[in-house]
Amino acid sequence: MPELSKESRRFMDDLRLYLLSSGKNEQEIREIAEEIESHLEEAERNGKPIEQVVGESPKEYMEMISNEMKFDKKAWLKYIPLIIFGAISFSVMGQLIDNLRLSYSYALIGGSVFISFIFILLVFGVFKYTASRQVSKVKEFFLIIIPVFVNLILFGGLIFWDMYSELPGFELGVTASMIVGVLLLGMLIWISVWAKTAVLLVMLSAIHVPELLLRMTQLGLEVKLVTNLLLTYLIIGLYMYYTFKKMKKAEAAAG
Amino acid sequence: MSQTQMMKGILDGCLLAIIRGKEVYGYEMAERLSEYGFGEVSEGTIYPLLMRMQREGLVTSVKKASTAGPKRKYYSLTDKGHEELEAFLERWKRLEKSVNEAIRQETKEGSEGSA
Repeated sequence: MPELSKESRRFMDDLRLYLLSSGKNEQEIREIAEEIESHLEEAERNGKPIEQVVGESPKEYMEMISNEMKFDKKAWLKYIPLIIFGAISFSVMGQLIDNLRLSYSYALIGGSVFISFIFILLVFGVFKYTASRQVSKVKEFFLIIIPVFVNLILFGGLIFWDMYSELPGFELGVTASMIVGVLLLGMLIWISVWAKTAVLLVMLSAIHVPELLLRMTQLGLEVKLVTNLLLTYLIIGLYMYYTFKKMKKAEAAAG
Repeated sequence: MSQTQMMKGILDGCLLAIIRGKEVYGYEMAERLSEYGFGEVSEGTIYPLLMRMQREGLVTSVKKASTAGPKRKYYSLTDKGHEELEAFLERWKRLEKSVNEAIRQETKEGSEGSA
């Protein structure tokens, strides 16, 4: 099978991402992508430039296709709980490590769900933006950081409000808390396998594993705090470096 | 009706006419359109149109292996597609007649007026 040019390959990747972040059905995306890809291959064999197939504006072409496809409600109903579970797992694991019991205010739970929704909308918005404008990988990376920062600030605010106000809520016993923890961890592993990325598990480990290990040492509180923070950043940094290297390698292989 | 919408309507009709003859796949349709003088229209424009026509039940498709490259999706007209093509041809004849008549009369009057 003949290989697509780098430009066409990039367009096809962007088209798939654009349609996926527009909430379209995966099966339909695969079908239309296959058809356009086959057209691009034949066009390239006949010496036609990509513009002759998709026009001068890839964004307009992507919109045109997107407009003819229905919004896949079923798939979104599947993604949303997955992302929300991912978000709450950080807090649940933290509480379990600290005192083996889970206690939450209703405001914190409701707020977390709301913030997760905003996060999903922002992430998908950024995906659509970067896919339709063919931005560089570096710009794409910086754009994707925006939702992460917005998310961190909103969560920070929510946790601060929860800590300093007497809000109504509930508390679970040790056994019930542990069951919730194990179920959540199982779900996280499943999400990671499904999404083919270990980012959630790495982040969770980066935040909680150093703390757990340091607890077993005889170090002073301040040394523990600083070492904990450094180790967290080190793990996240190493993971980002590894991902970046992998991305570069994949790009080099494709080009 | 915007120019793009009008163009889409015309392309719909032309695609139905192309598909009526025999089973045909996307690239072939684009080539034919180009031969008929639709060179200004980017080739990929046909896919969203085909997608809609398939959803509306005007065309149906089947994937077939090809000797050069991946499987191709071949389209053919349904009964509803045939009816839609007939309706399009009727509309087009009326429109063509009206447009020709308007241009003929107006340019004639225009040239008489200026003379």
